[in-house]
Amino acid sequence: MSTPSRDAIVRLSGVQKIYKLGKVEVPALKGIDLEINAGDFAVIAGPSGSGKTTLLNLIGCVDVATTGTVMVDGHDTGTLSESALTRLRLEHLGFIFQSFNLVAVLDAFDNVEFPLLLQGKLNKAERRERVEDIMASVGLTDYMHHRPNELSGGQRQRVAVARALVTKPRIVMADEPTANLDSQTGHQIIDLMKKLNQEEGTTFIFSTHDPKVMSQADRSIELIDGLVASSEVADDGRLDTPQTALV
Amino acid sequence: MITLFRIAIRNLVANTRRSLLLGGAIALVTVLLVVLSSVSNGMQANMLRVGTTLSSGHVNVAGFFKLTSSDASPMVTDYPRILKTLEDAGIKGKNIVVRGRGWGKVISDVATQMGVLVGIDVDKEKAFQDVVQVVSGDLSKMSEPNAVMLFEKQAKRLEVKVGDDVVLTAPTYRGVNNTVDCRVQVIAKDMGMTSGFSMFMNHNVLQKLYQMKPTHTGAIHIFLDDEKQADKVAAQARKALDKAGFTLMDPVPQPFFRKFQSVRREDWTGQRLDVTTWTDELEFMRKILQTFSLLTYVFIGVMLFIIIIGVMNTMMMAIRERTREIGTLRAMGMRRMWVLGMFVIEAGVLSFSSALAGSLLGAGVVSLLNAMEFKVNEAFQLFLMSDTLKLMLDVQTAVVAVAVIGTVTTLASVLPSWRAAKKPPVTAIQHV
Repeated sequence: MSTPSRDAIVRLSGVQKIYKLGKVEVPALKGIDLEINAGDFAVIAGPSGSGKTTLLNLIGCVDVATTGTVMVDGHDTGTLSESALTRLRLEHLGFIFQSFNLVAVLDAFDNVEFPLLLQGKLNKAERRERVEDIMASVGLTDYMHHRPNELSGGQRQRVAVARALVTKPRIVMADEPTANLDSQTGHQIIDLMKKLNQEEGTTFIFSTHDPKVMSQADRSIELIDGLVASSEVADDGRLDTPQTALV
Repeated sequence: MITLFRIAIRNLVANTRRSLLLGGAIALVTVLLVVLSSVSNGMQANMLRVGTTLSSGHVNVAGFFKLTSSDASPMVTDYPRILKTLEDAGIKGKNIVVRGRGWGKVISDVATQMGVLVGIDVDKEKAFQDVVQVVSGDLSKMSEPNAVMLFEKQAKRLEVKVGDDVVLTAPTYRGVNNTVDCRVQVIAKDMGMTSGFSMFMNHNVLQKLYQMKPTHTGAIHIFLDDEKQADKVAAQARKALDKAGFTLMDPVPQPFFRKFQSVRREDWTGQRLDVTTWTDELEFMRKILQTFSLLTYVFIGVMLFIIIIGVMNTMMMAIRERTREIGTLRAMGMRRMWVLGMFVIEAGVLSFSSALAGSLLGAGVVSLLNAMEFKVNEAFQLFLMSDTLKLMLDVQTAVVAVAVIGTVTTLASVLPSWRAAKKPPVTAIQHV
């Protein structure tokens, strides 16, 4: 194992995740050692079934490792109670999903405001200001009172990005955020995430199959069969398109 | 919390058909509960009003006089002393009337009619004048000596009309039959079961029939401002009379005419007083009401059980459809209790709004039925004491109906909601 970095916001050591399907044990992650630094725009790549989503779930504290240690923003997630994990997700993490996962009956404004309501730290005026600012930064000022079914796929994902960032989390997790978008819209979303990463310093960890999207990342972790096959850091802030066919 | 309400209401609107079906069912049960309770309340109020006018006071001081151990007369001796004792004990009520009581038969030229004989002083019986609906004759003529009032069916059976003469006959407390010639002065509209066996006459008729002294009577009826105080006042009267030296019968919740046989078999002579309440004297009505209430509650209980299953099933469907949403919200940091609250609020909004709508609709149905003066058949008239269905909407019942049905159906959502809340976020997010 490498020497721990002082800037590491995510640190995994010896992480295994085994699913039980009846009496059959299916190992999804077979021993991951990994560090992601604060401010990284990191991509987790790999073919289907390589363990990308499982790894994101562990880092995102929605699941716990079977063995090994997962440290997120200084917290050992394996030792935390269910309510402490919930609090950790609320205070430190943001999520962007492949299918946007917006609350269908709330408009864009309410969807973005929702995490702030869960936190309960800001008053109504402060929430409004925060939501309007973030909606402006994702270019949706004119769509604040549209419901998800009145928005395009790209607009919905922008709302999801705004919802993930509105609490100013330290880390944003995104599981294949461009998979349900056309390539042009997908790149716009990645550009937006990259912009927010650079402006706010938020750590982004996302998974993708798309080599063009991967090339936007400044850190690439490639998984194959539940193991880290390669971990690459770009010197110029942009990675070369990987040679491996990730489909 | 406002956002949870907003989510709840919008989800209910989004699933219009499902919400309408379930909400409609909840509203229907509430309508039934409100209407059936109003029928029950109406019956009770009418029975109380009519029953306590024709057959009983709210509290009664009556009793039996036995000259020999084998006979029994429904008579109270020296009633002025009893009235004084009650007055001294602070028992006043809004009105106290003295009535003669007996058991005998009326004989016409063609038929006879057995029944309870009630002697009244009509001038002192304002409530009686209000309740009785005269078909022919003049109620004021009941103050004439030997005046008798019959109900329509009795008159029909005896084939008599106003102005005809009839003979009353009954065994006196001396053990011999006595008769009195009377004149039918009033024929009144039938008033249910009571009018089938009660015959009213001027108080003097019973004094003659039973050869009673002027200080003797059948019963003292005490009418209270609040009939719910009857048991308390009866206990107070028993205590006062016992203290004053009167001998009292053990309290038995039966009307006086059902006590004849048992009193005749008892081995004592002289006067014994019997203090009863309207619920004792109108025992058969009470049993009808209790049976009706029981049937109502069983029916509503069964309906409610079906609704509970419906709510649970609907919530499980809703939760299944929204599993991914639950996973998303849990991933975002929503606590389990919030997830539970979100679904319970949704069920609560639907349940309480439907129950409220049902209650208002029920109130409308009650008003409509009352306005229609819905005629009931003869069998119902017997215990309704009225030929029309009179419903009485009790606001408290309507509020309780909303509260109970709303709460029960909301609680039915707790189990499926808790299961949703307990679902691990990682499983919920991946739900397809």
